[in-house]
Amino acid sequence: MENDRPRLEDLWPCFQGIIPAALSTCAQDGTPNITFISQIYYVDASHVAISHQFFNKTHRNVRENPSACAMMLDPRTLRAYRLYLRYQHSESSGVLFDSMSLQLQAIASHAGMTDVFRLRAADVYEVLQIDGVEGFTRFPPVPVSERPSRLFVDQDLESLRLMTERLNRSEALSDLLDRSLQLLDELFGFHHAMILLADEPQAKLFTIASRGYPEHGVGSEIGIGEGLIGMAARARRALRLSAIDHSLRYARAARDRAQATAGLEAVCREIPLPGLAGAAGQIAVPLVIRGRLIGMLAVESAEPLAFMCREDTILTIVATQLATGIDHLSRDTEESSPSAAVKSPAARAARRPACRRTFCFFHRDDCVFVDGEYLIRNVPGRILWRLLTRQRDEGRSEFTNRELRMDSWLGLPDIKDNLESRLILLRKRMEQKCPEVRLVTRGRGRFALEADVTIELAEKKET
Amino acid sequence: MIPPQVFDLLHTGVSVIVGTRDSSLMPESSRAWGIRAARDRASVTIFLTEAVSQQTLRNLRENGLVAISCTRPTDHVACQLKGRLRTIRPAEQADREYSAGWHRDFIQELVAIGVPADLCEAWITGPALAIEIDVTEVFHQTPGPGAGEKV
Repeated sequence: MENDRPRLEDLWPCFQGIIPAALSTCAQDGTPNITFISQIYYVDASHVAISHQFFNKTHRNVRENPSACAMMLDPRTLRAYRLYLRYQHSESSGVLFDSMSLQLQAIASHAGMTDVFRLRAADVYEVLQIDGVEGFTRFPPVPVSERPSRLFVDQDLESLRLMTERLNRSEALSDLLDRSLQLLDELFGFHHAMILLADEPQAKLFTIASRGYPEHGVGSEIGIGEGLIGMAARARRALRLSAIDHSLRYARAARDRAQATAGLEAVCREIPLPGLAGAAGQIAVPLVIRGRLIGMLAVESAEPLAFMCREDTILTIVATQLATGIDHLSRDTEESSPSAAVKSPAARAARRPACRRTFCFFHRDDCVFVDGEYLIRNVPGRILWRLLTRQRDEGRSEFTNRELRMDSWLGLPDIKDNLESRLILLRKRMEQKCPEVRLVTRGRGRFALEADVTIELAEKKET
Repeated sequence: MIPPQVFDLLHTGVSVIVGTRDSSLMPESSRAWGIRAARDRASVTIFLTEAVSQQTLRNLRENGLVAISCTRPTDHVACQLKGRLRTIRPAEQADREYSAGWHRDFIQELVAIGVPADLCEAWITGPALAIEIDVTEVFHQTPGPGAGEKV
């Protein structure tokens, strides 16, 4: 019966290379061929792979006639299974090839035959049908419930592995942040996510990266203890809300509160936190390292039941790595030698400034407006103002992280200054609000202020 | 003609796998419960059960083409015979005794490489059909660079 057919996963003991499998193929002229294959490799629920080490009849046959039939024995019972296969393609690089190759090399080196056993390719076959062979043995089958599938990697685990590997390659904080949101989306389906960093002296969190929102909201702030994200931050614990009520939507809450307490002017200086209009499920996970809050990872979904324990677990694991990565990459103070000043296309256009941009600094709250529109404030605001005035007064356009750290007016703390994240924040806000003026990386610890427009500066000192 | 060293190999408790194909060139794999080479070294008899080898028998009756691979589990010495069906008949007393002897030898081989004897003893080797095959070609199949060469 169709439903009684074993699944490929059920055959996991057969894929361990304990008992060789018989593989029959057929040449185009109709001559059958059969050979023992030391190991058939499980690829996924509908594919297997066979190692191709030597040019042989099997290799030639399946390229003429892709049909093949494997007979495998379960080493625990010696029960037999037939797999009807269709040769699909051959891989000579990639994850599958590498893992098969490494295994073969290890065996070969063990046997002192490194040159003889070399994987040329992994031949991948589609599994068309699996039959348990009846009347083969009197030995009772192992009940399905006793068949552990621990040899097959769960999809989530595999995705986590991929994510960890890729995040581990991040060279800069901005890469790490953007890549982690992209991978959370692509590998796990978290389409709406944001990362906030903690500004503990201010008891605030500010958004440093987001994905899946019409407004990216970088620079938006939320108090520690405020809303779902703020509460989870204060508790240093992951918090999940399913089927949430509208009134709990922290995005709106933060904005409404600002409006209610300080009026329109304050709201103009608030960047709204990214929020999904119909958010029905949210998870906020703290990014903590050695007990210190670094930031928050938050996701949302319009689906009330989208988030369960699985999602909590995945995000908690990702958050752990993210926290370590942020901590590590934020600490990076080494300066590299300046890289060649490659001018971006926009920079080349700077020869003919098309318009002007007026930046205004409000000393009262370290706030910078561009052409009357709120841009940024606090430490990133002071950094921008410093860069703009140095460029005006000294004609400089290249700067280093080190000089900013030495600049007491900026008010960076001596340790854990988050300078890198503040520069990311500033860069992203400028991309959004005044793309004609940019901060361009010039190697590690160095950057340049580039402008395609004439810059005018103004200051307001009164309260 | 089966060379003497292959003839000897076939009578040492080898694992016997059988490859055939149908009219659409879809291959079929099966296991035989023993192989016996004729004294004239021109043919072999293999033992198949209907239950395990339904499609193999159908293919044999349809086109007669067969590949038989024999491997000695303890040292992987192996060969492949290509041939054509001569006859299919129920196994007789002498065939049953021969197959039982092969089964004992094969169990010894498997036990030597760590397979529990009770598993091998549980195989259902009868009632079998005796399949006589005219051998047309013989190939080396011991793993390694020389595998696939014609003997």
